[in-house]
Amino acid sequence: MTRMAVFTLLAVLPAGGVAQRGDWPMPAKDYAATRYSSLGEITAANAGRLRPVWSFSTGVLGGHEGQPLVVDNTMYVVTPYPNVLYAFDLTREGYPLKWKYRPSVDPNALGIACCDAINRGAFYADGKIVYNLLDGHTVAVAAATGQELWKTKIADLSQGETTPVAPLVVKHRVIVGASGGEFGIHGWLKGLDLETGRIVWTAYNIGPDSEVLAKAGIFKPFYDRGTDLALTSWPADVWKSGGAPVWGWMSYDPDLDLLYYGTGNPAPYNPEQRAGDNKWTASVLARRPEDGTLVWAYQFTPHDSWDFDAASEMILADLVVGGRPRKVLVHFDKNGFAYTMDRATGEVLVARPFVDVNWAKRVDVATGRPVVDSTKLTGASRGNVKDVCPSLEGGKSPASPAAYSPRTGLFYLATNNMCMDYQATQATRIAGTPFIGANTPYHAGRGGNLGAFIAWDAAAGKKVWQTPERYPVWSGALVTAGDIAFYGTLDGWFKVADAGTGKVLWRFKVGSGVVGNPITYTGPDGKQYVAVYAGIGGDWFLLSGDVRSDDPADVRPPADFMPDIARHTSQGGIVWIFAL
Amino acid sequence: MDLRPLVLAVVVSAACGGHEAALATRHEARVFAGGVTPPAGTAPALENPFHGDRRSAVEGERTFGAMNCDGCHGGGAVGWVGPSLRDGRWRYGGSDGEIFRSIYYGQPHGMPAYGGLLPAGAIWKVVTYLQLLEPPANVPTQSWK
Repeated sequence: MTRMAVFTLLAVLPAGGVAQRGDWPMPAKDYAATRYSSLGEITAANAGRLRPVWSFSTGVLGGHEGQPLVVDNTMYVVTPYPNVLYAFDLTREGYPLKWKYRPSVDPNALGIACCDAINRGAFYADGKIVYNLLDGHTVAVAAATGQELWKTKIADLSQGETTPVAPLVVKHRVIVGASGGEFGIHGWLKGLDLETGRIVWTAYNIGPDSEVLAKAGIFKPFYDRGTDLALTSWPADVWKSGGAPVWGWMSYDPDLDLLYYGTGNPAPYNPEQRAGDNKWTASVLARRPEDGTLVWAYQFTPHDSWDFDAASEMILADLVVGGRPRKVLVHFDKNGFAYTMDRATGEVLVARPFVDVNWAKRVDVATGRPVVDSTKLTGASRGNVKDVCPSLEGGKSPASPAAYSPRTGLFYLATNNMCMDYQATQATRIAGTPFIGANTPYHAGRGGNLGAFIAWDAAAGKKVWQTPERYPVWSGALVTAGDIAFYGTLDGWFKVADAGTGKVLWRFKVGSGVVGNPITYTGPDGKQYVAVYAGIGGDWFLLSGDVRSDDPADVRPPADFMPDIARHTSQGGIVWIFAL
Repeated sequence: MDLRPLVLAVVVSAACGGHEAALATRHEARVFAGGVTPPAGTAPALENPFHGDRRSAVEGERTFGAMNCDGCHGGGAVGWVGPSLRDGRWRYGGSDGEIFRSIYYGQPHGMPAYGGLLPAGAIWKVVTYLQLLEPPANVPTQSWK
């Protein structure tokens, strides 16, 4: 770890932004997606004295993924459907609302969103709060007044598209994508004009080069050659409902002028319905934000047979790898491997498992391809394939983004220790209904604990420490200059760990399971504050058994792999703020 | 005007010998979550022609998977992103006709209208499957030691 260079990309503020050092203006704090804050008032020595200073019920029960923003002494909170936007005045006693924005959202979206009606947050740029409504619209709201400035339809519910993803704004482009890997969408990324909301470009993730925006002489993947790769790696016409949704996180390197994002799974889950690599599903793509031009792409899981979306964040850091300083991108894939890549070219430098993995023996960095264990290949003709690790929830969920500290040189992340059986079945595509074709029950991995919070050395490809957790860990991570890391658990504890050792220094029961991402900021009084959402949901709305209590006509049996989670949490959205 | 859905509906209806005309609406409107508004007036008290028939229930279970119902309500209908259908409790009513209408016309908050995709007979077999699912012994209470 001492071999690593400890500088990082400076956050580049959006055009016209007024965000200050102590603000949190975008989902991951900065374009490099580090979720690192240089605030250092709270340290390992004093974290035990943290106390809650404020809380607010959002009035919404869905899974509270994502994170608040703080800009100019105002905190902005987007709820799950119906996507209320709250603006809290941090300069006044009790943080009363300045305004709230109540968009009209089509309730039909609830039947199209695969995995609870979540939202991953907003982006502050040029005096606007920009975010997506679940029903396929992007809105821009005036940060000062809550006035809607524009609203653009970007996605089509009738084709299975919903939009919980957080936008990324680069200069005057608002970058958005759509979910629907479980509905057989034709996945895309779009660039909108920040001023007007007009759609300037659409880049598909699968299909012919003309639709993927792969241009001769510009598009240079490190491992692949040829044209129309995202067409020829599919059976005829199957690519049109082949998935590749965009539902995770985006990052941006201003020096290279490259925007990075990961794509989700190919559809359906039954791989026998889609022979070939299925590019660019389960991949990372690097594009020019101005016009969407594809510069390089790399597929983590070719012909994905396990629902291994690559929607996790791409964290940009400068590390010394193999004795050489490298501009890298670090990605913790659902497939259980952590990838350290050259972010200019897409070359894989290091790829090592960060959890127990048995679907592949290793990743061959010379070819970029995983060496697959053929006994773990799935398909309708293969019956029930037992004990695939990790499970399709991922070694790490893309819903729970990692953090990177340039001070320790380490990455901090929530992980799952679960395996699955995978019984694929023939799936029928009916537009607007699920297109899945697999039954995939889970069980605990080695050790019996369902999750862990870990620290990872991405230059060496090694785990440095881990704190086992009883349940899967699904919160994002935050790390600060105080050399402490924050995370939350499904049973509703918000925790602080020593970034060097993993020792838990403090915890507080926040009222519902945590699937959101902690942030930190400087308040108007100059003090350091930490905020996080409570509110179990997302996949855990589907998987936890009876954690909902709002519908007398919906009573569920306990989840067989964690039958007692409902003893510790129920649904409910709360914003929490802590300080010394 | 796009006539394809109408043609499809007629073909499905005829091929499967359905005794009720399929919905005369566009494909998008049928499968689009939220479904189609049922006709005004009191619903006729429909009776399930396959009530309690286990062979029909097996066919209904197959349809439940083939038409992607399990994608929202979960395998075994235990609840997923959509509500549980095996807890003996019904948001929109559990009589023969009420379950049939929920499937045929759809329901708000995401239930598509399958009336245009499935003949009435197939819907009744799904109803039969759901009605024969045994609720757990003690639905209202969960306790821990």
